[in-house]
Amino acid sequence: MNTGNLLSLVLPELLLIAAACVLFLLGVFPGKAARMAVPFVALLALLAAMTTQLTYQSDPAVISADPSDSIRLAGMAIYIKTLAAAMGALFVLLSWPTDRNRGGNSAVQYGADATGEYFALLLLCISGIFLVAGANDLILLFLGIELASIPTYIMVSISRPLPVAQEAGVKYFFLGAMSAAVLLLGMSYLYGSTGLIDLHQIAEHFAANRTGVLSNWELLGVLMVMAGLSFKMAAVPLQFYAGDVYEGAATPVTALLSFVPKTSGLVALVKILWMVGGGTWQTPENIARLVAVIAMLTMTVGNVLGLMQHNVKRVFACSSIAHSGYLLVGVAAVITGKSQNALGGVLFYLAAYGLMNVAAFGVLMLLPSRSNRPATSAETFEELAGTGREHLALGLAMAVACFSLTGLPFTIGFWGKAFLIVPSLSVGNTGLVVVMMINAAISAGYYLKIVGVMFLRPVAHASETASAKQDTGRPAPITIAIALSTAAVLALGIVLPMTEVLRTKTVQSSQIDSLPTPPTASAAR
Amino acid sequence: MLLPLLILIPLVGAGIGAFVTSRTAKAWALVVSLLTAAAAIGAAASFDFHASGVVQLQYPAATLVESHFGLVDIGFEPRVGVDSISLWLVLLTVLLMPPAILASFDSIKERPREYYAWMLVLLAAMNGVFISRDLLLFYIFFELTLIPMFFIIGIWGGPQRRYAAGKFFLFTFGGSVFTLAAVIYLGISAHSFDLTDVTRYAQQTLTESQRWWVLLGLLAGLAVKVPLFPVHTWLPLAHTEAPTAGSVILAGVLLKLGTYGLLRLVVPIGLVTAGGIAFYDFIYFLGGLCVIGILYGALVAWVQQDIKKLVAYSSVSHLGFCVLGLAALNAIGMQGSVLYMINHGLSTGAMFLVIGMIYDRFHTRDINELSGLARKLPRLAFFFVFFMLSSIGLPGLNGFVSEFLTVLGAFTSDRLGITFGVFAAIGVILGALYMLHMTARVIFGPLKYPGFSGTDEHGHGAGHEAHEGTSHAPVSDIGAREIGLLLPIAAAVILLGILPRSVLSTIASPIDMLLHPVPARSTAQAPVQSEPLVITSARP
Repeated sequence: MNTGNLLSLVLPELLLIAAACVLFLLGVFPGKAARMAVPFVALLALLAAMTTQLTYQSDPAVISADPSDSIRLAGMAIYIKTLAAAMGALFVLLSWPTDRNRGGNSAVQYGADATGEYFALLLLCISGIFLVAGANDLILLFLGIELASIPTYIMVSISRPLPVAQEAGVKYFFLGAMSAAVLLLGMSYLYGSTGLIDLHQIAEHFAANRTGVLSNWELLGVLMVMAGLSFKMAAVPLQFYAGDVYEGAATPVTALLSFVPKTSGLVALVKILWMVGGGTWQTPENIARLVAVIAMLTMTVGNVLGLMQHNVKRVFACSSIAHSGYLLVGVAAVITGKSQNALGGVLFYLAAYGLMNVAAFGVLMLLPSRSNRPATSAETFEELAGTGREHLALGLAMAVACFSLTGLPFTIGFWGKAFLIVPSLSVGNTGLVVVMMINAAISAGYYLKIVGVMFLRPVAHASETASAKQDTGRPAPITIAIALSTAAVLALGIVLPMTEVLRTKTVQSSQIDSLPTPPTASAAR
Repeated sequence: MLLPLLILIPLVGAGIGAFVTSRTAKAWALVVSLLTAAAAIGAAASFDFHASGVVQLQYPAATLVESHFGLVDIGFEPRVGVDSISLWLVLLTVLLMPPAILASFDSIKERPREYYAWMLVLLAAMNGVFISRDLLLFYIFFELTLIPMFFIIGIWGGPQRRYAAGKFFLFTFGGSVFTLAAVIYLGISAHSFDLTDVTRYAQQTLTESQRWWVLLGLLAGLAVKVPLFPVHTWLPLAHTEAPTAGSVILAGVLLKLGTYGLLRLVVPIGLVTAGGIAFYDFIYFLGGLCVIGILYGALVAWVQQDIKKLVAYSSVSHLGFCVLGLAALNAIGMQGSVLYMINHGLSTGAMFLVIGMIYDRFHTRDINELSGLARKLPRLAFFFVFFMLSSIGLPGLNGFVSEFLTVLGAFTSDRLGITFGVFAAIGVILGALYMLHMTARVIFGPLKYPGFSGTDEHGHGAGHEAHEGTSHAPVSDIGAREIGLLLPIAAAVILLGILPRSVLSTIASPIDMLLHPVPARSTAQAPVQSEPLVITSARP
């Protein structure tokens, strides 16, 4: 195994981190030209990273590992990296600096002297997802999760000059630090009880002394890891922070929050569960049951809370919790070990969820706010009232996003839900599916409320802020992001050949690793 | 290729309609709906009515086996096709749509482009439901109808439109998510979503308890759409608040999606087996809900003050007959039921059109404020009474035959029997009572309408009060456009009243095939598995 191969394993991570360093440096330059260049550099880095993954291997099932076996790339890792880079590019578009001094746009304000930092942090947290996707040992996994999380703490705080953002940032940071501690403690128990840090080897260890039950220490470790990851995913029992943090952060950062930590948490959880199942996808009964219970609670808590919210960003926070629940329904089907394409369903849904959210938050950003606080987009239902009539295109984009989140046909959300239900039913998780369908019906309540408020209510009064915002025009990057994501949501819902391409891709990518061990890894041991 | 046109023409038309000027939008929508009607008539012309039970005009054709359109890995390969039942309902849809659009010409002034675009999307979705030969495709179009209707009620409806639109959407969606679960369960068990395959699989392979849950899941969504008794509450509100055309389509076609789904899915997949009928007790339950709906709907309709609400509750009652005929599970009842779907669509749709014309003139639908309209508007009164009589089932008009057949079906059914038949027959009488009661007050008697308070027919006595100006506001009788849009429906009403056999003879054979599925000859006949599936099912 030469170093050239090792380099190719972590090439996208290196690309992003190098670009982040460049951006940190660019931030020092006072000139406007440097600030103008920042988002382009970020976008290019992400697109380059995506290209490396798209061209990485023709066969995603092939696994490559580095000599020390701390990184393994298989189908899922490559898919997640591609997806994260693409979503990252959309997030860059959403936070594109368009105001006079290039310190943000109407919905986010990181200040002229922090433009570089903001985009560098964005790249860092995407590279964190990359690391999680590729990680094959506990330490690297933990590092990846934290690399995906820590920049978001800062981004929440610097995203707008308001006390509420500071509060959200601090709250998010402390709770995040706590969850990281729980996660790390859990990992240390896993290490302590098995003596191994290599996921693959731990999986072999579990497979070797397979009695169907975990020892108490192992169980404790797994439970703590799951608890820590549930914070990242915004899943029960650590979902409570989501409302405050989503509301406090500027809207593009909220969009990022709904995708980046969730993805890193979900991927890590899938890997840990794979490991606990001894590499066979069949986890012990009690863990499987726990995942099912968490899924049910997460969906229900998210959706019921969503019905009660007055702030649209809080609604999307609850929707984010609920969607973690749906994803966990998919995971619950994966870990029965009976369905080959259950993980494909989860991966498909992740992409669907990211796209729908970018569309929804993008529309929120472009809608005028009544309050004159800086960097504030439309947030309350009153501010949304009648906006669908005033701005028909934006209204339709939001309607598409909301209907897709509800899971109506002709959108990607429908197929996403279908691909979660299909494996769940075929492995016999009927109860979970029923709970999920009840939840889909509940969630229709608040998604429909958003669409209803935008289209069916009259505009409260012709606000001056609206006309003021019209004058500045709609920033092209945000419009592009909305257009791209809405088009993708619709196209992947209607044009079945396209849906099938993504479906095939996700099903083929549902591979983390495989036993028996490839020779290189055993040689390295 | 004719059948996909039924979906494509209105969809493309809606897309183009978004870019025409506001003024031409309505004309464009009318043209598109007429083109769709032409496509449907073309389909009917090339349909072989001698083999009416056979699915015809399939697209992609059954011979094109390797048409890999769809999501093969979950067994979704959409296909459209019609037998005579579907074809008649498609014809009903395309017959009602142009009048509904014509009726909106004057009443829809706000944002006409969007309105007509949504109407055309609705047309596409309804046609899609009727021509789907695929379970998942059926569900997709079934759900798609929600979106345009939500906007049509919510934007162009009456004072309580927002609440009505939300309730309509949430009720229907809340029921149909369980239908989705049942549909996907059937699809992955049968390794195909093709209606024929799934039906055969359900009848031959599913265990009793599996069928039971599938039945409940399917029923959850369809019963709300029909609507059956306890889940009917969205309907009167939606009907009352919707604009005229919305009510017409809602009553005329959307409710039929529910009964059509019951006929197409619940009966063959849930109830009929090769050896006979499954779930004996459940049919009592279903029939009981229908009878309660018939009587309850009729009694509530009787006390309504709003004409539109009265007709809405009459729909609850009428749809009870329709489902009762299905639940009879004999040829008479089910033929009556299918005929009932068409007849109810025609007469209730037309009733809503006429009520819309009254509302356009007087801006009220309150029975207490309207009286003796026949004196002022004789032509309108003629059509009102005509469609009212068709709705209560006057012999010679269309409603009679189907009502008679469904009640007869209930009587002769070896499940439901005399008790259900008697109660349904009481519903027939009640139906005549409330309709005649309302007509007597609104159409006959002394002339009265808002702004006209005097007893003098010539309007001289009206000027005493503050309504000086409005009392002389010209209230004209219906004109050529309005007569023109009612005439085709009236013609259909008379034709179906005189010649119900023209429909009944063609729907006999598909219903016979529904009721008497071919028993499994050998195990080799079991579901065709054309594709090797990636899915590993828990079941072998």
